[in-house]
Amino acid sequence: MNATVISIFIFIVGITLVITYFAAKRTNSASDFYTAGGGLTGWQNGLAIAGDYLSAASFLGIAGAIALFGFDGFLFSIGYLVAYLVVLFIVAEPLRNLGKYTLADMINARFNAKKVRGAAALSSITIVIFYMIAQLVGAGALIQLLFGIDYIWAVLLVGIMMTIYVLFGGMTATSWVQIIKAVLLMVGTVILSFLVLKNFNFNILDMFTQMKTATPHGEAYLSPGVKYKIPLDTISLMLALVLGTAGLPHILMRFFTVKDAKTARSSVMWATWIVGIFYVMTIFLGFGAAAFVGSDLITSTNPAGNMAAPLLAQALGGDILMSFISAVAFATILAVVAGLVLTGASAFAHDIYGQIIKKGQATERQQMLAARYASLGVSAFSILLAIFAQSLNVAFLVSLAFCIAASANLPVILYTIFWKRFNTTGAISAILTGLISALVLVSLSPSVMNPVAGAAIFVGDPIFPLTNPALFSVPLGFIGGWVGTMLSKELDVKKYSEVNVRANTGGFRQL
Amino acid sequence: MTKVITANDTQQNARGEKKVTHERPVVKEPDFQKIENSPGFRELMHKKKKFLISTTALFLGLYLLFNIVISYTNWLDAPFIGDITWVWVFAFSLFAMTWILVTVYMKKAEKFDAMAKATLKEFDYDEEDTK
Repeated sequence: MNATVISIFIFIVGITLVITYFAAKRTNSASDFYTAGGGLTGWQNGLAIAGDYLSAASFLGIAGAIALFGFDGFLFSIGYLVAYLVVLFIVAEPLRNLGKYTLADMINARFNAKKVRGAAALSSITIVIFYMIAQLVGAGALIQLLFGIDYIWAVLLVGIMMTIYVLFGGMTATSWVQIIKAVLLMVGTVILSFLVLKNFNFNILDMFTQMKTATPHGEAYLSPGVKYKIPLDTISLMLALVLGTAGLPHILMRFFTVKDAKTARSSVMWATWIVGIFYVMTIFLGFGAAAFVGSDLITSTNPAGNMAAPLLAQALGGDILMSFISAVAFATILAVVAGLVLTGASAFAHDIYGQIIKKGQATERQQMLAARYASLGVSAFSILLAIFAQSLNVAFLVSLAFCIAASANLPVILYTIFWKRFNTTGAISAILTGLISALVLVSLSPSVMNPVAGAAIFVGDPIFPLTNPALFSVPLGFIGGWVGTMLSKELDVKKYSEVNVRANTGGFRQL
Repeated sequence: MTKVITANDTQQNARGEKKVTHERPVVKEPDFQKIENSPGFRELMHKKKKFLISTTALFLGLYLLFNIVISYTNWLDAPFIGDITWVWVFAFSLFAMTWILVTVYMKKAEKFDAMAKATLKEFDYDEEDTK
């Protein structure tokens, strides 16, 4: 660790702490804490969504995957981007029109039943925990590599920072950390892409020709099938990516930070452009790392390829660029975990404590206290889990989070908005069927049971053949909701009219 | 929020004379079924659904087609220009498709907004009430 790294690092952390200080002064109510008072503009929220979405898995993971596996690594970029159309067309506006702080609020705008709220909170918390462990484990490994400190200290460092942002600055601080990080990440990626293109003499055709011989895969590098060889497995993974984003609670929560559906819509538009441009540049990062760093050095530094982008910065821009990219990677992790803590805390403090235990009667002071205690609890719990989960595969945890989001949350969102016959029993069974089938199928899959010792948690033949179960668990979530609905006679046409009118006009908001 | 009338108003109507009792506000729920069945709202939903269903089918269909084709066939491995194969062209058209559909939707949504506003106005709903 040299002086440049430390000073750039301290500078970025310093900025985020100043923001937190000012945000803390403005965080006086539960609405400030959870949604920054709903006062973000379209471009601000768009950048914050991008900041929340472009996690270390996107930045370091995809760059590494493209460097090592060529086109197959780029598949993630495609899935993650197209997913925004599902968010924009189906989820963003009704969510803003019906909800207040959480996904459970939106579903309860129709059902107002504790069991439904409880089930929705449970699935949100499960997704947040898997996503959080993935981010913290990745962060620990990365900071260990970048700054040469122990894994446990690295996790504690990130953990303490995220707790400070959320505890004191709430959603205002979290949003601004995400906005600044998104800008830094785009700047860093543009610089790296420019340097890569310069080294290819700005000739894209030539770049592809050179890539045919630059890696051990030869010509196959530029074609699908280097990493993903089982067709159903690929399709299942891609299904989880495209449908999962619209059910990720920390992304959904971002739509409550704007004042109306129109702003929610324009923030998705901003996010789609930023995220899309970023994903195009992942090709340059990946190709550049493969050509100018080499897969031997990338895999010897980190077998998963996570160090491809920082190593590329070192090779093309020297120590200063390497320090900058490392600091950006650190900011990336902080922004994402802060958003996750806030989302987990809202499910505990707002849904479970405020609405289920206190029946919506908690005072403003009680709500704020609960929110802060819940943030502290969620932080401490995930830091603890991350310390013990060091050896878990990060990519597997992230794709599992996407799979649960697609299976447990998307069906219930769609049914709530569009299906008149849908009822309380259906809502509970949709969420639980999706959640349980995703969890059970994953625990029987090759990610958990693998005949090769050390490749997964248990040694043995997998009972379920696909690594990602979305191809089965998403339809199961929909079927579960349908069967549950049909088993119950309950039908409230009047309430559906209200939800239908409110979701589609933005009028009659219940605040 | 919603239209507010006071409790004494109803008393007055029933008796036909002024008899002020409590000043307790009674919130009158808007008749959502009436709004839902109004021609304006039905037209909005018809247009919105038509747009959303056709575009969602298009983009999800193309996306799944892409994944099925690259998983089961080598069709896209044929060269497009130089060493760039069709698989990259298809991948980029999915990017372009996303941006185009977002832009188209932003335009469409403004029309939906206007229709929704007209419907709300027809039922005397004032947006400022929610503030």
